[in-house]
Amino acid sequence: MQAGANRQISNHTVDAEVGKNLLDIAHDNNLELEGACGGELACATCHLVFEQDIYDSLPEKEPEEDDMLDLAMELTDTSRLGCQICVTKDMDGMTVRIPDDGY
Amino acid sequence: MSRINLIRRQSNLTKKSYYHSTSISLKPKISVAIVGSGPSACYTAKYLSSTLKQQSKKGLLTGTNIDDLERVDIDIMEKLPIPFGLVRMGVAPDHPEVKNVENDFAQLFAPSDSEKEENIESSIEFFGNVGVGTDVSVEELRSLYDVVVLAYGCESDRKLGIPGEDLEGVYSAREFVSWYNGHPDYVHMGEKFQKVLHDPRNSSVVVVGQGNVALDCARILAKGRDGLNDTDIAKHALEVIGDGVKTTTVLGRRGHVQGAFTIKELRELTKLGDTDFIVEMSELEAGNTEATQAELDGKGARPKIRIDKLLRDAAEKSGSASSKKEKQVKLRFLLNPTEFLAKNSDHTRLGQVRCERTKLEGEPGHQRAVGTGGFEDITADMALVSIGYKGVPLPGMDESNFDFKRGVVKNTHGKVHGVENTFVSGWLKRGPSGIIGTNIVDAKDTVSSIIKDLQNVPEDEIEGRYGLQTLLAKKKVQYVDWDGFLKIDKEEKSKTRLRTDSQPREKFTNIDDMLKCL
Ligand SMILES: Cc1cc2nc3c(=O)[nH]c(=O)nc-3n(C[C@H](O)[C@H](O)[C@H](O)COP(=O)(O)OP(=O)(O)OC[C@H]3O[C@@H](n4cnc5c(N)ncnc54)[C@H](O)[C@@H]3O)c2cc1C
Ligand code: FES
Repeated sequence: MQAGANRQISNHTVDAEVGKNLLDIAHDNNLELEGACGGELACATCHLVFEQDIYDSLPEKEPEEDDMLDLAMELTDTSRLGCQICVTKDMDGMTVRIPDDGY
Repeated sequence: MSRINLIRRQSNLTKKSYYHSTSISLKPKISVAIVGSGPSACYTAKYLSSTLKQQSKKGLLTGTNIDDLERVDIDIMEKLPIPFGLVRMGVAPDHPEVKNVENDFAQLFAPSDSEKEENIESSIEFFGNVGVGTDVSVEELRSLYDVVVLAYGCESDRKLGIPGEDLEGVYSAREFVSWYNGHPDYVHMGEKFQKVLHDPRNSSVVVVGQGNVALDCARILAKGRDGLNDTDIAKHALEVIGDGVKTTTVLGRRGHVQGAFTIKELRELTKLGDTDFIVEMSELEAGNTEATQAELDGKGARPKIRIDKLLRDAAEKSGSASSKKEKQVKLRFLLNPTEFLAKNSDHTRLGQVRCERTKLEGEPGHQRAVGTGGFEDITADMALVSIGYKGVPLPGMDESNFDFKRGVVKNTHGKVHGVENTFVSGWLKRGPSGIIGTNIVDAKDTVSSIIKDLQNVPEDEIEGRYGLQTLLAKKKVQYVDWDGFLKIDKEEKSKTRLRTDSQPREKFTNIDDMLKCL
């Protein structure tokens, strides 16, 4: 996902402990990703966008995750909630995008 | 370990090009007052503080002498002794996960960790038990602070404006919600609810409106004591609701695809153990106009499609329902309440809600409910009107800045029209819509307007926090600071107050009792 010509992208490469969820990884690294409900599938603020092949390899969503994704802003076909996705070895090198809320 | 790239578009709030390139100097200390302590106030404080810190750190603002800025004080004024607005007084007691956001907000008030090196110091203070418009005026705040942000939410509600709305038994959902959540200003409503619901298991309630607040009311009414004992619902509410109300009917003028509720709240209604969830297929079909189908095909229709499916499944189930549970929640569509009718036995009390059957007309996305001339009377001991919270001006506020129709302060990107250095955020800015997370973008929008305007902050010294403290002392207002709130919070969680081990807290419902904890 690359944005248009004059948009600045901030890119943070972080070392992520296998097994930890991506919301915690973002917070450990002081990256701006809200997790209003603290990872309890009740807010949709931890919305992340994945690359297609990574997305395809992720564990299936529970219906509850889909219910919350319905409330996420800028929903895409490869969106998931960061608090529900745990780091695996296969994710090495992947790029995850924090959706653009215009600010 | 895996190496992961997390990318985000560079925030508008910290982009250099965002600022005027001319050099402006800022005074070393900026004082900000925020009125209200709900999500919009907390997110505004959070992003105002973090954005200013980031900017100075990155030196992005070298063109604009923001480097002169050394300190930002943000003071949050709340009329109750306890913070967080509707997270405490709106969000349903059986949604404790939603209230977790309080932990995030609490960190704003915690003393900052002095190890971090920051160019700008920022401190956020809580001033509970300070009513703006009563204890201090907006004008007084404007004279004490560089910037004032209004974030006091919606203190009133929309009325249906139909005959019988003042009958005993007709109340607003806001009153009911505030009461079951233990809001001190609504404790007196208990007597009224008790009177109309004296025998819940033989009572019927109609909830008018089709948003999540209406579904919350229905779910709470249906669950009763068994379903709510372990929550922080106020004790007085459990006493009235008892084992739950027999029949709750939630109805609205338009169809199921036009409803404002979200799927999580609908799904919960399908999972109430001792309560049947009843949806009528004929009503779903009647709302299935060509325009509705277009709405289901349109861009961003995913949530609507999933709601449509869930309700169709529910309707099929209710059609074939062999099980007859003790209680029912009915979700009805295309019914427009036209009159509240009194009981035959008592002309002062509600007995039925008269509804006109409607049909949908108009273009996709703009369908209206039009009367068909057919009527249905629905039995009701109590009716809750849930068609929207509504903002109102504070006492003494210049009413020309207020849009009474929408119940919001007139603003552009959060900057209040016609008043210097005054901003608005949250429900008072955009109306009562969205979830807690919606207040994040909304707050960022206001913060970006505040930062753009910082250059207009007059150079004169103002008194800020110290001035407020002096004023409150002079007026003999006993304010509750963050430590004071923590004492109240601790007392509410004390084992001796709780009904069960898993109950998170038993709220104080009286301001004097809260102040006694200090
Ligand atoms: C019944 C209900 C249930 C909800 N459930 C959910 C949910 O499950 N999940 C979800 O994401 N969202 C939910 N929401 C939405 C969410 O609560 C709102 O988006 C959010 O609270 C709006 O924030 P706000 O700060 O604008 O207003 P509020 O939260 O209303 O905060 C306003 C604050 O200002 C204070 N105040 C008012 N007047 C004054 C004054 N004169 N001086 C000082 N202070 C004053 C009030 O006491 C209050 O604390 C629910 C809303 C309601 C009504
Ligand atoms: S943090 Fe709330 S859903 Fe992920």
